[in-house]
Amino acid sequence: MWFDILPSFWEGTKITIQLTLFSAVIAFFLAFLAGFGRLSKIKAVRFLAATYVEIFRGTSLFVQLFWIYFALPLFGIMLPKMLAGVLALSLNAGAYGSEIVRSTIISVPKGQTEAAIALNMTPWQRTWLVILPQALVMMLPAFGNLIIEMLKGTALVSLVTLADLTFVATVLNSSIMRPTEIFSVLLVIYFVISLPFTKGIRWIEHRLSAGRY
Amino acid sequence: MSVPLKVIYNEESTKSIGNDLRKVAVQPIVNYSNISKSYGDLQVLRNIDLDIAPGEKVALIGPSGSGKTTLARLLMTLEEPTSGTIEVDGEMLWHQKTNGKLVKANEKHLHKVRGNIGMVFQHFNLFPHMTILRNVMEAPRNVLGLSKEEAVERAVTMLKQVGLANKIDAYPAQLSGGQKQRVAIARALVMRPKVMIFDEPTSALDPELVGEVLEVIKAIAAEGEMAMLLITHEMDFARDVADRILFFDQGRIIEQGPPKRIFNNPESERLQTFLSRFNRH
Repeated sequence: MWFDILPSFWEGTKITIQLTLFSAVIAFFLAFLAGFGRLSKIKAVRFLAATYVEIFRGTSLFVQLFWIYFALPLFGIMLPKMLAGVLALSLNAGAYGSEIVRSTIISVPKGQTEAAIALNMTPWQRTWLVILPQALVMMLPAFGNLIIEMLKGTALVSLVTLADLTFVATVLNSSIMRPTEIFSVLLVIYFVISLPFTKGIRWIEHRLSAGRY
Repeated sequence: MSVPLKVIYNEESTKSIGNDLRKVAVQPIVNYSNISKSYGDLQVLRNIDLDIAPGEKVALIGPSGSGKTTLARLLMTLEEPTSGTIEVDGEMLWHQKTNGKLVKANEKHLHKVRGNIGMVFQHFNLFPHMTILRNVMEAPRNVLGLSKEEAVERAVTMLKQVGLANKIDAYPAQLSGGQKQRVAIARALVMRPKVMIFDEPTSALDPELVGEVLEVIKAIAAEGEMAMLLITHEMDFARDVADRILFFDQGRIIEQGPPKRIFNNPESERLQTFLSRFNRH
């Protein structure tokens, strides 16, 4: 039996990892965009960013996914399953991530900005050389959590019949009816995938905080 | 209101120290003109007029909350004045001329004028994620546009001057408070400002570390070129370093003059009370 089902698990695992990685990259990008957007001096930008964040934080990932996959086609936008999955996951995680970005940036002591102004740095240099490197270290643990959350969130895409790990497991289970074994394997695989993310983030955190404590 | 004070100062300088006449004739490096600053209903500066001559060392003394720090922060462009104008080296700081009209300065204008000013903060505000060398060389490299080699060379020279050449690769968290403040001084000096602000540079230090920082500042003051605005509670230090002492209270310059006169013959009652509190300790 295992000989037959392991290859399908492997296929599902690949999809899940792809989903997580693509979504993480886009979510990271969105998080910065919206996080900085909410701190912008321009009111329209703040409003736009806040609207995005509130909508995607305030509705469930499940509904967002269904909406993107089943409702968007009504407006003429048909997305492949993978793209719909990545879009839903990253828009959702990006909204949460933007709060991480925003809160860590404002938690860098004001004296840091003042010192940068006193050295006549431009607003761009203040952010890039002084504020962001300090905020980034504080962001990492929270971003680590977010990626793990997102990895687990990928299970939802099975509902739009994208053949990820969970989808594979449910299909296998309905054909061979061995829930204990199948879902135990599923559990272990998710855990194993999450490990490198956890370790990786911790490693970066360690590297970036060199000499500070 | 503050005009009579200015007159007092000029009479003072013509009478007592002749070399101060020079400063009256030269264009001031800093000019505060009718500057006021309020936070809501709280007025922290009231119609301040003040000229600082190139190379002049001015010490601000006075009780906490009297507006000394605010006066300095306006010059460093960390706060915006509510009314009045500030000129640096003959150029408006917070205002610019657009089509012949005086309007609020934009970031580009502030950037241009702000380059003349440097500041050392009470709480050092070193960049914790950078080594000491990078703390000092980052602005010369990125703001002045020096090459990496030049920036390193300038930074190292400056760190030698404050006695910390051996700490180049350390991070701020590994230094004592006194060492941190010396790095902060090097970081500000390396930009070669025409005016340097010291905002209570020793107030956050343990008593035994105050001396080393004051020594460094004295040595810089002795070089002479740079004007200084010193906010301090160290009266002996102010007496040693300053050409002129300004006594602040409730957002006004109450009295000013050369250190000897201010400390030996304070005229206003408020200054007398203020100084007597120091003498007792």
